[in-house]
Amino acid sequence: MVDQIPNLGRESEMLGALGLSSMDELFANIPEGVRREGPLPLPQPQSEEQILEDARRLLGANVHLDSRPSFISAGLARNFVPTMVPMLATRGEFLTSYTPYQPEVSQGMLQAMWEFQTMVSELVGLPISNVSMYDASTSAAEAITCAVRVKSKKASQPSSVYISELVPPHRLSVIENYTQGVGIDLHTLPHNEDGTLDLEAAASAAGSCAVYVEQPNALGLLDEGLMDLREAIGELTALIVGVDAVSLGVIEPPGSWGADIVVGEGQPFGIGPTAGGPIYGLFACSKEFLRLMPGRIVGQSIDSEGQTAYTLTLSTREQHIRRHRATSNICSNETLIALMGAMHMALLGPEGLEKLATRVHSSTIAALGAVTSIPGVELVNPEGFFFREFAVRIPGPAKEALESMDSAGVLGGLNLGNWWAEMSDCLLIGCDEGTTEADISALTDALGNWIGGASR
Amino acid sequence: MSTVFDFRGAPGTGWSQPEPINTPSGTIPERLRRRHLPNWPRASEPELVRHYTGLSQKTFGIDTGFYPLGSCTMKHNPRVNERIALMPGIDRIHPLQEDSQVQGLLSIFYEMQEMLAICSGMDAVTLQPVAGAQGEFTAIRCIQEYHRSNGESNRDKVIVPDSAHGTNPASASMCGYQVVEIPSASDGRLDIEALKAAVGPDTAAMMITNPSTLGLFETSIVEASRIVHEAGGQMYYDGANFNAIIGKTDPGRMGFDAVHYNLHKTFSQPHGGGGPGSGPIGVKGHLSQFLPTPMASRRESDEGDPTGVVGDGYWYFWEDVGEMSIGKVQQWNGNAGAVVRAWAFYRRYGCELERMSEYAVLNSNYLRNRIMNPDPDVAAKIHCMPVEGAQADLVMHEFTLSMSPVKEVNGVSGKDIAKRLLDYGYMSPTLYFPQIVPECLMIEPTETESKEVLDKFAADFHAILSEDPEIVTSAPHTTPVKRVDEVWAARKLILRHPITDSED
Repeated sequence: MVDQIPNLGRESEMLGALGLSSMDELFANIPEGVRREGPLPLPQPQSEEQILEDARRLLGANVHLDSRPSFISAGLARNFVPTMVPMLATRGEFLTSYTPYQPEVSQGMLQAMWEFQTMVSELVGLPISNVSMYDASTSAAEAITCAVRVKSKKASQPSSVYISELVPPHRLSVIENYTQGVGIDLHTLPHNEDGTLDLEAAASAAGSCAVYVEQPNALGLLDEGLMDLREAIGELTALIVGVDAVSLGVIEPPGSWGADIVVGEGQPFGIGPTAGGPIYGLFACSKEFLRLMPGRIVGQSIDSEGQTAYTLTLSTREQHIRRHRATSNICSNETLIALMGAMHMALLGPEGLEKLATRVHSSTIAALGAVTSIPGVELVNPEGFFFREFAVRIPGPAKEALESMDSAGVLGGLNLGNWWAEMSDCLLIGCDEGTTEADISALTDALGNWIGGASR
Repeated sequence: MSTVFDFRGAPGTGWSQPEPINTPSGTIPERLRRRHLPNWPRASEPELVRHYTGLSQKTFGIDTGFYPLGSCTMKHNPRVNERIALMPGIDRIHPLQEDSQVQGLLSIFYEMQEMLAICSGMDAVTLQPVAGAQGEFTAIRCIQEYHRSNGESNRDKVIVPDSAHGTNPASASMCGYQVVEIPSASDGRLDIEALKAAVGPDTAAMMITNPSTLGLFETSIVEASRIVHEAGGQMYYDGANFNAIIGKTDPGRMGFDAVHYNLHKTFSQPHGGGGPGSGPIGVKGHLSQFLPTPMASRRESDEGDPTGVVGDGYWYFWEDVGEMSIGKVQQWNGNAGAVVRAWAFYRRYGCELERMSEYAVLNSNYLRNRIMNPDPDVAAKIHCMPVEGAQADLVMHEFTLSMSPVKEVNGVSGKDIAKRLLDYGYMSPTLYFPQIVPECLMIEPTETESKEVLDKFAADFHAILSEDPEIVTSAPHTTPVKRVDEVWAARKLILRHPITDSED
C-alpha cells in the first residue's frame, strides 16, 4: 500500500465538501478519447524496507571506485568528501527548499551562495561567479554563447569561436549542441607535437568572439604557453579557460593571466563522482560579461530597516522574465551541490587547498614515474608537466590492457581510443588525493604483467 | 551579520589531511605556480558546523512548512532516497566505468526509462538531460534534426502559448528558433483559432503544458495536435505539470511526439535551493534515433556474461544511439543520483502512481474551494476577496487567484499577501505567474499535505484578507530580515565579499 499521502482514506469527506462523490469526477475535464483506463503495467507498491533491500542489492552489484585501485578521472575526481559536507547539506531546510524567490525566508541559502560566489571568485581570480551551471560541459558551452553575445558587435570574425583540439569529445559534443542553432562557427586550434597549444596558429583567432582552452588539457598537460594567449589573440576576443578546480591550489588562476571567463567542474569540491551527476559547473567572469551571463546570481542588499540582507539579483537576464530573449534557458541549477562545494572549500581553507592540490599532483608524478619505468610504456608528451592525469602509449590495444588489469582488480584508466581512434594504444591515467603507493604498485604490476604477457 | 569569512584561524590549522605521498620538485613550471592563495576562510569543523546550521535555520524548506509554490510541485522528499543516494554503488561510481562494473546502476536506468515511457505513452526515454529546461532543449534539438533529416530545415518557428513557462521560449530560442507566442482564450484555455492562424509551412513545433499553468486541462488538446501535425510540425509536452495526470491520461494519447519529465517535481528529487534537477525526455519512435547518446539497454544474458549480477536474467549495457544522435547535452549520463532517488520514489507507488495524481488534484480543488468559499462569519470580516485566475468548476493540481480586486479596494498587492503569508509560517505561492493573470498567486498544494494543513492555510489566508492593510503591505514582520530591497541589490551589485582586511 502507498504511504506518502496523508489524506488517504479521507477522500469522501473532502470530495463531499466539493459536492463530489468519486475521485473520477475530479478528472471529468479529461476528454474521454484520451482517458487512460486500468492500472499502469508496473509492479506493486513497495515499503521503505523493500526498496532499501532492492537498492542495496542493485547498487551493491556495482564495483565502486574505493573498492580497488582506481585510476580513472577524465574530468571527474575520485575525491574524499569530508563527512561534515553531506551531513549538513542534507539538513532538511537546505535539502527541501526551492530557488530563493522569497529572500526574507531564504537568507541562509542566499548567504551561503554569496559566500560560494566569493570563494569561486578568489579561486579563479575573477570578480564575478554565478551560483552554478549543470556541469563543466554546459559551463563551457554557455560561456561561449555568452562571449558571442558580448563580443560579436566589435569582432572582425563576428560568428567565430576557436576551440583547442585537446578538449574531451563528450564536452565538445555538448558545446556543439549549444552553439549550432545560433549561428556560431566553431574552429579548431591545433596543438604542437609536444602537446602545448600552437600559439602561432592561435593568433588566427584574433578578432573572433572567443577562444576556449583547457588547463590542464584533456591529456592532463599543464601548458605555460597559455599565459601568452591573451597577447596572441588581442583584447577584442574573449579568453575562456576550463580548469581543474583543485589544480588552482598550486597553479596560477587564469584570471591573473588574462582570462575573461573561467569554467570548470566543481565536483572535486563537495560531492563524489556519483556516476556523472548531480555535479556542478563553475562559471566566473569579468564585469564586462555580467549582464549577459547565464545563471543565477546572489547580491548583497538591505531590508526595509536597513540591515544587511541577500537576494537574487539581475533576474532580468533570466528566462522567467525575459522569455525568448533570456541569456540562457537555465532555471533549475545545482545549488545544493554548490552548497556542498562551499562547505568543502571553507573546510579546506587556503592552505588546505594548496595541500589538496599538492597531494593530487604528487600522486600524479609518483604514478607517472612508476608507469613510465615499465619497459615499453612511453609518455605521449615526454617533455610535459602534468596535473591529475597523464597519457601513455603502450605496446598493444588499451582496451585489452584495461580488461587484463580489470581481471587483476585494478581500474587502470581510460582507453583514449574511445575519444580519438588514433589513440587506441593509449591510456589516460588519473590520480587523486587518495592514491597510495600500494595503488600505484598494483597498477604497475597489472600493467607490467599484461605487457609481459602481451609481448608473448 | 557574520559571514564565513569572519573565521580566521591560524594558517594550516584547519581540517587535516594526510601528507602527500612524495615531494616532487620541478614538476610545475615556475611561471605557472600560484603566487597568492585564495582568501578563503580559515575555519575549523566546529565553527563551520555551527555556521551552516545557523544558515539552514534561516532557510525555509518543505520540511519547515507548507510550500504551495505553484508549478514547482513541492512535495515531501522521502528520506530513504537520500540514504540510498549516498551508497557507494552510486556515490563512488565513475560514469566511464565498464558495463560489467555498473550492472545494478544500468538496471535502474533501464527500469526508469521503461517506467517513464509507460506513464507518458512514449516509445523511448533518455535520462541524460539534467533539468527540465535542458529536457526542453534536448527535445527541441531532436525535433530540429528530425526536420533537417526530412529536408525541412526551413521550419524555423516554434509556437508557445502565452501561459507557457519562460523556459519554453528560451529553450526554443537557444536552438535558433523564432518563437511565436499565441494568446490564451478568454477562459484561460488554448485558443484554437489563434493556433490555426499561427501554424504554417514554417512551423517546427508547438510547446505546451497540459494541464496549463492555470491548472486547467486543455480539453481541445487532440485538435491542437491535429492542427500542428497537419501543418507538418511536432508536438512537445512540457512535463512540469505531469503530477496532475499520471495514470489518468498521457501525452502519447493527446498526440504529443516528445515530452520532458521533471524528476525533481513529479518524482521527488529534492529541489535543494534551486537544484539539482533531472529532466529526462521521452519521444515517439520517429524521433528516437535523434536522442542523446548513450542509453541504457539490455539483452538476455548468455554464457559470455558474468551471470547473476542483477539476477533477472538480463545483461545491461550502454548502447550508442547511432549516427543520427544529437550527441551529448550533459557530458556524462545525466544526474544519476537524481535518477536513483526518483527510482526509489516510484517504487513506493508502483502500479498505484495514479494515487499521487488523484490526491494532488483533490488537495488542489479542496483548497481552492476552502479559500473561495469562506464561512459567513469569516466572510463578513474580509475586506475584499480575490477572484479566480480562470473560470472553471474544477481545476487540476494547481490553481491561480488574482489579487486585483484586493489591490483596487485597499492597495494590498499580490506581493504583499505573499510576504504576509511568510509571517504565518508558509512559503509564498508562485507570484505573478502566469503573467496573463493580473496580481497572480499560483497555488499547488501537492498530495503530501493533510486536510488539516489545507484548512489552516485557508483560514490564515482569510485572516490576512481581514487584516489592517497597513500590516499586510509592510509585511513580513517576523522573518529573519524584513522586506528585502531588490532594487538596491541590482543597483549596488555587491556580488562577493570584499575581504578587505585579510592578512594576505
